This record gives sequence, C-alpha cells and structure tokens, in this order.
Amino acid sequence: MTLYVPAALLAATAVVLLGPASALLARARWVETAPRAAVGLWQTIGISALLSGAGSGLCVATERYHAGFVGGLGRLFEGLTSGRPLEGLGLPDALGLTLAADLAVVLVCLLGAVTIRTVRTRARHRHLVDLLSRRRHDSGAAVLDVRAAVAYCIPGIKPRIVVSEGALDLLDKTEVDAVLAHERGHAHERHGLVMLPLVGISKVFGFVPYARLAPPAVAALLEMAADDYAVRRQDRNALVSALVSMATAGALPACSFALTGGSVSRRVERLVRPSTSSARTVLAASGAALALLALPLAILLAV
Amino acid sequence: MGLGQLERRVMDILWDASDESLSGRQVAEQLPDRAYTTVMTILERLRRKRLLVRSSSGKVHTYRAAASRESYTASLMLDELGSAPDRDAVLVRFAQTVSPEEAVTLRRALGASKKRAP
Repeated sequence: MTLYVPAALLAATAVVLLGPASALLARARWVETAPRAAVGLWQTIGISALLSGAGSGLCVATERYHAGFVGGLGRLFEGLTSGRPLEGLGLPDALGLTLAADLAVVLVCLLGAVTIRTVRTRARHRHLVDLLSRRRHDSGAAVLDVRAAVAYCIPGIKPRIVVSEGALDLLDKTEVDAVLAHERGHAHERHGLVMLPLVGISKVFGFVPYARLAPPAVAALLEMAADDYAVRRQDRNALVSALVSMATAGALPACSFALTGGSVSRRVERLVRPSTSSARTVLAASGAALALLALPLAILLAV
Repeated sequence: MGLGQLERRVMDILWDASDESLSGRQVAEQLPDRAYTTVMTILERLRRKRLLVRSSSGKVHTYRAAASRESYTASLMLDELGSAPDRDAVLVRFAQTVSPEEAVTLRRALGASKKRAP
C-alpha cells in the first residue's frame, strides 16, 4: 500500500484537530465543571496534532523507499547519517525535503526564543519582587507597596506569591486566606509550566486556530482550577466576595486596561452554583484524550 | 543571611540614598556584619543585572540605583496589568478589572451567595 493514504489521513487529522475541534472545545460550556480535565484535553489535542503532522510528513518522506513506514524510516535514517541525505533524489523531492527541514528548524528556533524570553521575564520578575517587597505576609507571600488591589503568582521552580498592600486593605482575613490559597493552587499545580508552550505557539503560530484559541481558554480554565483548589481549603463564600471586591475595586469609568471581565463573572457563577456531576465529565474527557492520542498511532501502525 | 537577602539590603541602601552615588566602601560601612569583599561582589552582581549603574571618579567606583524603587514597582505592575507585551510571563492576576455594568451584576451575585451562606 502506498504511504500517501496514511499521510493524507494524518494530515486531515491534524487539520481537524487544530481547526474545528479546537473551535468546538473553545465554545464548550461543560469544561467549567471539570477545568483540569479540560486543560488535559487541550494539551492532548496539541500533542495529537503534532504527532499527526509529523507522522504525515514522515510518511511522505519514506514513500519513495517502497519499504513500508518502519522500513522506510530506517532507510531515511541511514541516508541522513551517511551524510548524503539527498542522494538519489530527484530535484522536486530534494527541494521539498530541504525546504521542510529548514522550515522545521526555523519554527523550533522561534518557539525556543519565545520560551526562553518568557522564562527570563519570569526570573526577572521573581528577582524584582524579592528586592522590592518590604515585608512578608504571615503566609510567606511577598507584600508589595502598591495601592491597587492585586494578587498573583509568578511561576518558576520556586514560585513567588505576591499580594499588594491595597489588596490586604481591601479584604478581610478570611478573604485574604482564600485569595492566597488560590495563588498557591497556581504554584502547586504548576500552571506556569502548562502555559509556557502555549505562550510560545500563540506568538509563533498565530495563524493556526488552536494557537489562538488554546492560550486564553486554558488560562481561564487554570483560574477555575485554582478556585477549586482554594475552596477545598478555604471558605467558598470568602473566595467569591474577594473575587468580586477585587474585580470591582479597580472598575474605572473609562478604562485604560483591557477589561476582559467575562471570565470573572463565569468564575463567580460557577462558585456560587457548584455543579456536582463532574466525575462523569472527567471520565468522558479522559476517554476522549486517550482516543485522540491513539488515533495517529493507530493510523501509522495500520500501515 | 542568604545572598538574596543581602542583595535586598544593598538595594535598600542605594534606594534610600536616592540619586547619590555611593562607593563600595560607603555601602560596606552600612553593613558592618559583612566583609567589604562580599559587599563588592553583591554590588557587581547587581550591576550585571542592570539594577545598579557604576560610574568612576579617579580610581574609585561609585554605584547608584538604575531607577527608583517606585519606578521598579510601577514597571512590575504595568506588566501585571497587561499593557506590557510580556504579561504572559506572569499568570493572570487574581481578578481582572471589570466594567462598571459587570460590577453591578457581580455584586448582585455576591448578595445571592451571602444569603445562601449559613
């Protein structure tokens, strides 16, 4: 059997995953009942699309050996290690292979550069927070001398949790505890690591729907996951009132910052009306994730 | 005392000196529990990280903060509040600012949840 058939199937899989499937997941409302499972599904879509795309390319590259996929892969590897990878190729094949390799190298370098920059900015922020905070909260959070009510987590191997004097003034003790538990949720569940590749692809592959849709969707889901982490440890009502106080304290008449408050209302809504049927949702999402991973592998092994 | 804490004390000294440049010796005088060479190492580290600016008069190097404590705090907050391109470096802060209309809706939702509380 020619390898062009699985190549086409895999390419179609990648296109469907990165396009319509991503759009579907971005619109789904069930994700709010199981944010962590939904994040897993977003990650799986990305990995599965990557496997499909790479598999498709390798199928095309190995077709000319007429030795099946695994056999062709061995021959391709031999050609690469012999130092004459283009030997025996016609002009179109040689050009195509060279272009594909160049493109892959450029994209990987761009992605690496964006990721390194993000990691460096995070390191710089952690260092600045260490230098600027005049005192520490009882919880160990760094307190910044800022009137605006803010609290956040700077990701890293040793994440920093930052809270402003303004937030400590605005909130009562149970509310502060709830907010800090939320930030500890980000730190403990390593949400910064989840976002890292997504930040990179959103800047390099902005033309792909997945790269545009996944980062904001996953960021919103991670906020919900951190809310869930907080309400397992602290008072639910305190978290809700802290969320509302902090979101509305900064409400400016004509606003200077991008006001994407939509996710705050959704977070409040799901905290006020907690749903109970998330176990089945988690199971379904995990099953879907497994199927997505199995699909490109199955197509390749069927050759 | 860790290196980070010593860096903070050195920065505090130079921030408090505001625009005045201090020599390594002058900084070390304010940190009597630390050796002069340690203080110099920290000053050079902070200079390499572009937090301090070094100038030389004759054979003596003097140091001052590259920017005030307030402007560093402001730049950090600017990154936080989303006008800087590097905002993805930090996770979304606890709650983003909402519009006044949405504030009303949120307060209403909050009222509902308080009533439900035992």
